[in-house]
Amino acid sequence: MTILHRIGEAIRELLQQVPLTGVRLLFVGSLVAILLWVLSLPAERTEPEGGARRWDENLKWSAGLALGIQILVYSLL
Amino acid sequence: MLTTLDYVLIVAYLAGTLWLGFRIGKRVQSGSDLFLAGRRLPWWAVGMSLVATDIGGVDIIGGGGAAYKFGLAIANFEWIGCVPAMIVGAFVFIPAFYRAGVTTIPEFLERRYNAGVRSVIAFCWLVFMACNLGIMLLASAKLMSAMFGWNPAFSILLTASLVGFYTCAGGLEAVVYTDVLQCVVMIGGCLLTLAIGLYEVGGPKELVRRIEAIDAQRAEKQATDAVSEDVTSDTDLQTNPRLTLILPVDTPTPFPWPGVYFGLALILSPAYWVGNQAIVQRTLGAKSEFEAKASYVWGAVLKNVIPLIVAVPGLIALALIPDLKDGDAAIPRLVAEVLPVGVRGVFVAAFIAALMSSVDSYLNSAATIVSFDIYKRFVNPQVTETQLLKVGRITTVCLVVWAIGFAFLLTRIEQNSGIYTIFQTLMAFFQGPAFAILLTGVFWKRATGSAALTGLLCGIATSVGLFTLNQPAVREALKLEPLFRISDPFLYFSIWAFLVTMVVLVTLSLLRPQRPSISITSGS
Repeated sequence: MTILHRIGEAIRELLQQVPLTGVRLLFVGSLVAILLWVLSLPAERTEPEGGARRWDENLKWSAGLALGIQILVYSLL
Repeated sequence: MLTTLDYVLIVAYLAGTLWLGFRIGKRVQSGSDLFLAGRRLPWWAVGMSLVATDIGGVDIIGGGGAAYKFGLAIANFEWIGCVPAMIVGAFVFIPAFYRAGVTTIPEFLERRYNAGVRSVIAFCWLVFMACNLGIMLLASAKLMSAMFGWNPAFSILLTASLVGFYTCAGGLEAVVYTDVLQCVVMIGGCLLTLAIGLYEVGGPKELVRRIEAIDAQRAEKQATDAVSEDVTSDTDLQTNPRLTLILPVDTPTPFPWPGVYFGLALILSPAYWVGNQAIVQRTLGAKSEFEAKASYVWGAVLKNVIPLIVAVPGLIALALIPDLKDGDAAIPRLVAEVLPVGVRGVFVAAFIAALMSSVDSYLNSAATIVSFDIYKRFVNPQVTETQLLKVGRITTVCLVVWAIGFAFLLTRIEQNSGIYTIFQTLMAFFQGPAFAILLTGVFWKRATGSAALTGLLCGIATSVGLFTLNQPAVREALKLEPLFRISDPFLYFSIWAFLVTMVVLVTLSLLRPQRPSISITSGS
């Protein structure tokens, strides 16, 4: 056993303690965090110069759709 | 075997692609046209091109093969391994690159750090892209040979010459618009295959029932084998639950959750979506910064359907043909045994589309790196746009010749790993370190050029070192136990390489006195 093996073994044992339900929460929680961040972005970062003329010109909605599907997928599978 | 109808469909698709590439080629007058499409690309075309480029023949054959062998966990590469990084990339990194007015990622890194960092990153990407071109051509040869008995040499030469022609003539604009056509053909053709495959199995519920039954049967066999002390690594792999995305730490697959979360979602995926020249280059050719951002968001929406066409057919193959030894043979066998006349031609066109859309992008981007990061930077800084166009086209032709040669070489080398694993391992060598320096470069003004270069080299050395120490022959010679308990631990290589790069970069930067911040915007 080298020092690398000991470090790896310690990390592996630590991560093994995390239940898979907790892991699922981590995955879904990270996606939810990104969704909340996107929704909180100021309009000038998500709309074209001069503002959005139609609702679909605001990228928040498309990004929200992509992340929403991901949240559903990682909650179920 | 293919019928006349199948061949008509394939030839019609190929003729359409060539016609489109030829028409666009007439508009190309300068280096800027060849490499950045004159910055006139719309968001929808760039978004579809991003997805088409990312999904190649490697993914359809290798991804399906991995799903056959390991289950749905391979879908992580298209879901959490793409969507979050694309969304964050759209609002954080892409605007920074676009405003900087650069043509390549290495050029951005030189403005932020120094020429050494640019050269190392350019070299890594060039080697990766050049090798990847050969791997992609080999994937096509494998499929054609398995399904129709086509000569692999013929498949390799046909694909390389067609793609080489329109990429050389039309540059990035031809690449993007043929990618749009290829994206439609690829998604449509694969969805048709999925629908017919599901029908053959008896629907989604029957698919789930059959896979659970196969898993249960193999778990039982493994238990019996264990009693008789006849356990093999292969049966270990077969007992993994195949219908879940999140696998435990000790899974016998290459996809344990720490690898997927820390290695893929947090490192490899953002490294790929914000640091891969072949991916980012098309957004730099968008009409405006907003269109560049919109293309990434649109691509992320499309990405949600990709596992349906990449991973699920592998599961269908498992349900219908459960005893294959080689996972990479799953999709070719499924196509040959399940698809009717005509639909087989559509699938082959979809596969060729997926393959061509990736090969063309890597060809164009590798030529861009040679032209800008080597020729213009070190050989002839005063090069004119016309000369740059010529250099780009000559480089494209040379890369086609190289790719053909490398693909032939690969067909002669016996590989135990699947195509997908070879591809991911190659990326894991430098993607983690490259992302570490990009991340600190954008967010931490104090990071210095020399620290970035040292960190980058240490990170690459770490991943290559870990890979070497993990090889059975090396372990045996050094009398070492395996460093990792999973097969093909490329996700773990990237985590350690990223961490080493970060630690070295931050430590060395903090040891230097703070300097005024550097501007990386256009013209600086």
